[in-house]
Amino acid sequence: MATVCRLLRNKCNFLSKNVMRAMSNETRVIDPHEEKIVESHTERDTIIVDRNEVLASITGVPEEHIKTRRVRIYMPARNSMQSGSFGLNRWRMDFDTRERWENPLMGWQSSGDPLSNMHLEFKNREDAVDFCERNGWECYVDEPIKTTIKPKSYGANFSWNKKTRVSTK
Amino acid sequence: MAASKAVQGLKHAKPILSVDRNDARRRVLNLYKAWYRQIPVICNEYHINKRPKDLNRYLRQQFDKNRNVKDLRVIDILVIKSLQDLHETKNWWKMANHVLYPLQESVNPKPTGFLSKFLEGHDP
Amino acid sequence: MLRLWPLARNCKATKALASLARCSSTGAPAKVEVFVDDKPVQVEPGTTILQACAEAGVEIPRFCYHERLSIAGNCRMCLVEVEKSPKPIASCAMPVMKGMKIKTDSEMTRKAREGVMEFLLMNHPLDCPICDQGGECDLQDQSMAFGSDRSRFTDMEHGGKRAVEDKNIGPLIKTIMTRCIHCTRCIRFASEVAGVDDLGTTGRGGDMQVGTYVEKMFKSELSGNIIDLCPVGALTAKPSAFTARPWETRRIDSVDVMDALGSNIVVNTRTNEVLRILPRTNDAVNEEWISDATRFAYDGLKRQRLTAPFVRNAAGQLEQTDWETALVKVAQKLVQVPGEKVAGVAGGLVDAEALVALKDYLNKLGSEALCTEEIFPMDGAGTDLRSNYLLNTGIQGVERADLILLVGTNPRFEAPLFNARIRKSWINNELTVAVVGTRVDLTYDYDHLGDSTKILADIAAGKHPFAQTLGKAKNPMVVVGSAALQRKDGAAIHRAVATMAQNARVQSGCGDDWKVLNVLHRVASQVAALDLGYKAGVEYIRNNPPSVLYMLGADEGALTRDQLPKDCFVIYQGHHGDRGAAMADVILPGAAYTEKDATYVNTEGRAQYTKTAVTPPMLAREDWKIIRALSEMTGNALPYDRIQDVRDRLYDVSPNLVQYGAAEDANYFKQAQELAAGISGKLEEKPLTPSLLNLKDFYMTNSIGRASQTMAKCVKAVQEMP
Repeated sequence: MATVCRLLRNKCNFLSKNVMRAMSNETRVIDPHEEKIVESHTERDTIIVDRNEVLASITGVPEEHIKTRRVRIYMPARNSMQSGSFGLNRWRMDFDTRERWENPLMGWQSSGDPLSNMHLEFKNREDAVDFCERNGWECYVDEPIKTTIKPKSYGANFSWNKKTRVSTK
Repeated sequence: MAASKAVQGLKHAKPILSVDRNDARRRVLNLYKAWYRQIPVICNEYHINKRPKDLNRYLRQQFDKNRNVKDLRVIDILVIKSLQDLHETKNWWKMANHVLYPLQESVNPKPTGFLSKFLEGHDP
Repeated sequence: MLRLWPLARNCKATKALASLARCSSTGAPAKVEVFVDDKPVQVEPGTTILQACAEAGVEIPRFCYHERLSIAGNCRMCLVEVEKSPKPIASCAMPVMKGMKIKTDSEMTRKAREGVMEFLLMNHPLDCPICDQGGECDLQDQSMAFGSDRSRFTDMEHGGKRAVEDKNIGPLIKTIMTRCIHCTRCIRFASEVAGVDDLGTTGRGGDMQVGTYVEKMFKSELSGNIIDLCPVGALTAKPSAFTARPWETRRIDSVDVMDALGSNIVVNTRTNEVLRILPRTNDAVNEEWISDATRFAYDGLKRQRLTAPFVRNAAGQLEQTDWETALVKVAQKLVQVPGEKVAGVAGGLVDAEALVALKDYLNKLGSEALCTEEIFPMDGAGTDLRSNYLLNTGIQGVERADLILLVGTNPRFEAPLFNARIRKSWINNELTVAVVGTRVDLTYDYDHLGDSTKILADIAAGKHPFAQTLGKAKNPMVVVGSAALQRKDGAAIHRAVATMAQNARVQSGCGDDWKVLNVLHRVASQVAALDLGYKAGVEYIRNNPPSVLYMLGADEGALTRDQLPKDCFVIYQGHHGDRGAAMADVILPGAAYTEKDATYVNTEGRAQYTKTAVTPPMLAREDWKIIRALSEMTGNALPYDRIQDVRDRLYDVSPNLVQYGAAEDANYFKQAQELAAGISGKLEEKPLTPSLLNLKDFYMTNSIGRASQTMAKCVKAVQEMP
């Protein structure tokens, strides 16, 4: 997020300076002190803002997809079809499922939901919650279900007084 | 940094343009004035069959929509975005429908009440 | 494929010795330090190298090893180098030793893996493009990650690769046995978890085949799990064969409603259609398995669906209409009749949101007649105390129990995964099982005490020898099936069972946190309905004939048309055109469990939620919304507009309903016992018989199962195939 902010800031600075110049050159609206202010504050200057800035108004996401959506933040469970466990130690966010339909001509899947393919992954839940809050989405967190590893032994197959014994394979 | 830790929920950040609230407010007002002055010109140049008064009301609405934005940097970005928009409008980089689209006049309004939404379809 | 346990079954002396030996060592066993790729890890002694690597965050490739099955050690894919060992070691079977230095990425390890992979691929067909496993195949993935970059397989004589005849093991599992790599996971699952020793191997070496030897069906209620277990495409799902690739599907985590356990599932969808259902690991509920009904009944969600509102016209025919007409029709009727003449019945698949909406609405109208189709004795404390109707010990509690008494239940078909837990505990923890009820095949040995209710009374009174056994057990469990409590003498049975449970609890000194009394429900909605204050059973409605009956997914035929007054106006709201819809005057189409965000509480009182995976078909709507819309039509709108508001309301009624994932404890056994003393009912002579006796009864227990073609095929196959 920090990187994004920095990028955004640089870009905006660049843009804004240009725009401001353009505007101030051509219209009389812009304050003549504008240039001075832009120049005057240095990299070290800081302002105090809310810890979680609400970016919903500038992300460009339509309002109807901010106010009505709910985000589930969770750790994905292992696909039971496979034994691999890569990618299970991160947090994902999913939006609620909206209506989808099959394209009658080609059989493609259609949806009116621009966010349905947005699957973001985070290192921890706080990052995920922060991200949702910044973007104005209501979110809830699912506690991950931990499985414990129980020691087991090959010898149990041959144990003489336990039901774990197997005769053949 | 110690100060920001003491005040919960606040942090230091690099400003985009405005360094304080007055600064941001001035920018917003300037932006508003710029649009306000531009509206008669837009109506004229784009042959928009509307009174500038109506568009002024719309302009006011758009500003009011973001009146609860407190973060100076967010305000700055909004101002910048809008300035770009103004710039594009002014320079004829748009067509009439681009200018009018935000008014959403050709779009059927979505139902708002529970019952009307229920009768309309699945999505909330 | 026999399990040989009885060798030293009654060898008490060894057990005593063993326990002595255990006593002599104090505290937890010291941990062993091993080094995985030079990274030190502390693991318990007896852990295998593979598990130690998993603790260290290194995943060893494997085919035959599975966390929940016994160790076979026959695929050799998990070979790793261990320092000072001349040969690579099969890490899945080798226990760790102190100071072991394991190298999971050394030259020797990599070479060993490449070699194993080369041998596996030598006889594995290259039909990945037409294989259903393609995209989620362990062999595919691991050959990419650990295999060689070229093959030395040259078919000089054009003899072709090994080919094996496909087996027909039923309508659910498709076998392409040429793809089999002999990991024996399916065999071990069948004999260990499912308890059906049907699968095995014949032949040796290149001629080895996995199968049933003679052609027969794999008759198990958990058979679908071997599809998941199969690391290659040898066993795939027959109903969803060739429908979609795994990367095309969307996976939505959800919860199952086919039984009262609430198995965690992942719904795979594409184009607004459920393509398959997979289990989702949750050790507290279903471990990693799901039953066949859970897995394969999804095609019932596409058939017999109510897709539009219907209103019965003057000619007595149901006529399709739109929502407005239907709701107006219902509202007019509801406004005409006095509030107390309105009654509601909730079926077995209804979610907590719809239940609370209907209850609030009918209460607003002035009616208290809200019942569930499933019966539960209301005498004594009845459903007022949660401990009376929950599986109090919890599903995971079975693994701590040492004695379990099943009363009038057949958990194998009523709750297959609960039965799998019992079996797991029976194998690994020496759990003793006793049964009062009809003799059924539970896949494990049990003491059959008889099927007469008299035995219950005797145990409760301490006259039966089993009462002593129960008292001596450290962590006893008494599980009574909800079917047993639905008899006329249900209250008396509940009382007898509760008494023996309470006695056992006192005598065994198991402490306050161990609960003995357990009720095993059969339908998903029951616990939530009882938590919300529904009356169990429709007796109340029969005694107070209503003018308007609101059936919320009530499909089991608890109330029939001739039990109602002639002019009774019946509203059915649900997702399937089943028994309930047939007798309705107005049908309001609702959503099935894959189509709504909904809360279900399982038999142990664990609240879980389903998520919308697909949209309800055509005009069908989410259930609570229908009731909410109707309430607005009659002018007493319910105060919730969004699902969050409904859940707030659920929280107000009973906070445990929205504490997702957690099973809220109930602990008022003594008080329940005191209240139960007032129950006067007598035990009947009739033997205790569970409702589901055979595998064929298992598949069609609700409206979704009845609409499913796959389930119908299963019933047919079970009856016809050997």
